Amino acid sequence: MSLVYPKMQLSEVVEEHPSLIPVINRFGIRLGLGDKSVQFICEKQALDPDFFLTMINTFLNEDYFPEKKLQSFHTSLLVDYLTQTNHYYQRSQLPNIERHLNYFISMSTPENSSLKVIRKFFYSFKDELLKRIAKDEKIWFPYCLSLSEKLKDITLPVFHKEEEGKTEDPIEALLADLKSIMIKHLTGEYDENLCYAVIVSINTLEKDIRQHNRIRYRILEPIVWGMEHS
Amino acid sequence: MTHRYKNIAIILSDTLQRIGLRCLLLDYFSPIEITAFPGFDDFCKVEEDSFDFYFTQPDIFICNADYFLPKRNKTILLLNDSSSALPPPGQGFHSLPLKASQEVILEQLQHLFASTINHTPNEGNRELSSREIDVLQLIVKGITNKEIADKLNISLNTVLTHRKNITSKLGIKTVPGLTFYAIMNGLISGDEIEL
Repeated sequence: MSLVYPKMQLSEVVEEHPSLIPVINRFGIRLGLGDKSVQFICEKQALDPDFFLTMINTFLNEDYFPEKKLQSFHTSLLVDYLTQTNHYYQRSQLPNIERHLNYFISMSTPENSSLKVIRKFFYSFKDELLKRIAKDEKIWFPYCLSLSEKLKDITLPVFHKEEEGKTEDPIEALLADLKSIMIKHLTGEYDENLCYAVIVSINTLEKDIRQHNRIRYRILEPIVWGMEHS
Repeated sequence: MTHRYKNIAIILSDTLQRIGLRCLLLDYFSPIEITAFPGFDDFCKVEEDSFDFYFTQPDIFICNADYFLPKRNKTILLLNDSSSALPPPGQGFHSLPLKASQEVILEQLQHLFASTINHTPNEGNRELSSREIDVLQLIVKGITNKEIADKLNISLNTVLTHRKNITSKLGIKTVPGLTFYAIMNGLISGDEIEL
């Protein structure tokens, strides 16, 4: 997978990777991109092109994660980005899966009890995610921002968080189980086409949350730790 | 994880070779775990004896023959050309021709992995024991580990071990996931939990 650079036409990049559309939307960029370069569009939207490109590139390439560079961005940029992803989960992705799932269940045989269990499963996932988002907005993000405001004149060293002993994120684990269970254990009569739509929407959210979590655990948390101990 | 992934060590001094081999293996043979080292010294620092395969070059192999000879079934030498004299073929080790086409290299790797690793997870091992089923039935009712221990008259540690084994046998990590499994397999009826 190749990286995106400032001189490239954003429309060409998005044509190649339509999954970027929600990501550019988070930065306030809408379709109707014409043939403008990434750099031009960033200037017009008053975005830091370096930050924009790093977010796009880490989203597209799961192997690409320049920790040093990411930790050098201002805390408020990272918090803003994570806030936007939370909004997107809350306003688009969760309702989207829910809509597909309800339609899928209503179009399948009513006595198929496995589908009801899947619905219950989805709601417990939704609950967890919404709880985390609420906590982010009320407690954690304001805390990160106030710390960085207090320490704005101090340059902090880069921190590397050890991968060892890291516990799995419960949100990711729930999503992975939800997908895996549908693929491995679905039984009875059901609508194949709608089932696929549900799995695709789960998969899209899963990928997005993976990137969100990498930034959360490997960038923002170490920065905050560094600020707390400076 | 229900089964362990292939665990591979790459010990090559040439950076591009290391990256190239790593990409090829990840692209075509995932899921796979790869650790790459520029030299044998770096490799020794983390050596845990648990690699399934070692990819290395002839000079590193020769200099550390004591290490590699007992592992020759698991060692793959990257050779510049097939007529290379070092070390002699036919002694149980594998080789990969550096200058062959990608197609040939992939075929050889496929052959190597197919002949030595059993890809299918061990089905026989994945049945839950009756005690594990007892624990599972209680987990999905939302009972805490401590209460499960009291109810079944076992220690908290035993409960944790059972939980770990259930997760690894079923490949399901979360309580809602386990609930689904329990209902679909008739281990608990839908009426016992709220749908």
